[in-house]
Amino acid sequence: MSGISVKAGGISLETPGILASGILDENGYTMKRILQEGAGGAVTKSIGMEERPGYVPPVVFEAHGGIINAMGLPNPGIDNFGDEISKAKESSKPVIGSIFASTPEQFMKLAERMVDYGVSAIELNLSCPHVRGFGAEVGSDPVLVKEIVKNLKGSISIPIWSKLSPNVTDILSIASAASDSDAIVLINTVRAMAIDIYARMPVLTNTYGGLSGRAVKPIGLRLVYEVKKELGLEIIGVGGISTWVDAMEYVMAGASAFQVGTALWNHGRSVFNEINEGLASFMNEHNIKSLAELRGVAIR
Amino acid sequence: MMDHVRVTRKVRDTPTVFSLYFNWNRDVEPGQFVMVWVPGHSEVPMSLSQTGKEKCLTIKMYGDTTKAMDALEPGDFIYIRGPYGKPFSRVKGKTLLIGGGSGMASLRPMINEDSTGILAARGKEELLFENEFHDGKAICVTEDGSRGIKGIITAGIDSVDLSGFSMIYVCGPERMLYAVYKNIQGKTENVEFSLERSMKCGIGLCDSCSVDGFEICRDGPTFNMKQVSEMEEFGRTRLDRSGKRIYF
Repeated sequence: MSGISVKAGGISLETPGILASGILDENGYTMKRILQEGAGGAVTKSIGMEERPGYVPPVVFEAHGGIINAMGLPNPGIDNFGDEISKAKESSKPVIGSIFASTPEQFMKLAERMVDYGVSAIELNLSCPHVRGFGAEVGSDPVLVKEIVKNLKGSISIPIWSKLSPNVTDILSIASAASDSDAIVLINTVRAMAIDIYARMPVLTNTYGGLSGRAVKPIGLRLVYEVKKELGLEIIGVGGISTWVDAMEYVMAGASAFQVGTALWNHGRSVFNEINEGLASFMNEHNIKSLAELRGVAIR
Repeated sequence: MMDHVRVTRKVRDTPTVFSLYFNWNRDVEPGQFVMVWVPGHSEVPMSLSQTGKEKCLTIKMYGDTTKAMDALEPGDFIYIRGPYGKPFSRVKGKTLLIGGGSGMASLRPMINEDSTGILAARGKEELLFENEFHDGKAICVTEDGSRGIKGIITAGIDSVDLSGFSMIYVCGPERMLYAVYKNIQGKTENVEFSLERSMKCGIGLCDSCSVDGFEICRDGPTFNMKQVSEMEEFGRTRLDRSGKRIYF
């Protein structure tokens, strides 16, 4: 399936579907298996300076058309994550290190360690919607985003991706602030919650979580389209992709590659190969030689 | 989808283990599990110790969530989602059920006239469901020698001829599973293990419970002899709640 190989965000991908951060990417063995079973790359769980156990369950809720989660950024801390990346890299496919922090200095330290661990690119988590002081709280401040990205681009040799939140009033100002990145990753989850009427309280221990899955696809698609149309930046699309048609819509909206996460829940690991085969078949039918030919063609 | 069911009866099985019975209109196969939420505490994975129309959760008290469940009485709600995971495969002929500690709870739905049990615990007061085996076909093993064979679970396995069983089912903590695996390895291939690891989402998304790239909640919790023999992590290493790798 050479036709579906892409260059995106400064790296080459044999297949355009990347495992999204936060889903099945804490254990190196899991990332390796998913990469061997059709994913073109894998973004790790977001890693911070210190070990965090995450929130007490319930951390997920099965909603209509998707999942609401508030994992709470569980991670072993950057010092304890090298072995997982090494294991995932046994697949010989790109591993992208996701990092979260509060300050430009911490982002720099984390990025340097990820480079030491041999990742192919770094994804900045500027968008986790459910942990105070991190993620979207950092990523909704254009001045801070600009400083973080500029700082990293000045001294880190591998590509930097910025994963942004849909939970902002003006996506264009944030995307502009992150425009020095090698790619903008859109979108993270949509802030949401669930209430249990028998318990008369929120289900998630953290109360607030993020909605992902099919329900958010139209939102992700709009943000990708808008940022591509208005700013022309390199984009990796993510949000509710579970079939090759979803993926193709993101490509036509302007994405160079795409990420898949929640679909692993109802489709299993085979979702990547199902998408790959569907894309290749569509391209064959329409005599398209390279996925890049279709990038952004829907933009009016 | 969260279901809400009322406790119909409650039974104390041992000083630290109790069972909550309830009617739940979902089909569950032995070996599958559910997620049980105790509002204000936590949500925990549990297997059902009875899988017909009337279902049962057999609970060992080990933390605040399970202690809070002990406060539930008939009429109170259980918050439950599932069932999840791959059930044990069912076979004709004689079966051997090997359960360590409260591991016998998830094997209980498979007790019948063709099954023999090996029950292991620290002492006799922690042995579960011995009397439910037919014709006394329950071999007890206790670490303190207070009932049956004195020793660990493998001493019980050494006392039976494994070739007579169509399938052997094993459930318990991973260290025990690994000891059983090493003991049985090379003697028979007809073995299924129910694995247990730190689990958060229960639906194959968070990666907390994985072993060698298989999610215990989705690809398991039951795995056969061949599958576990190919696992590098089984019995050796796992991730803790933060994702930090620890070694057994």
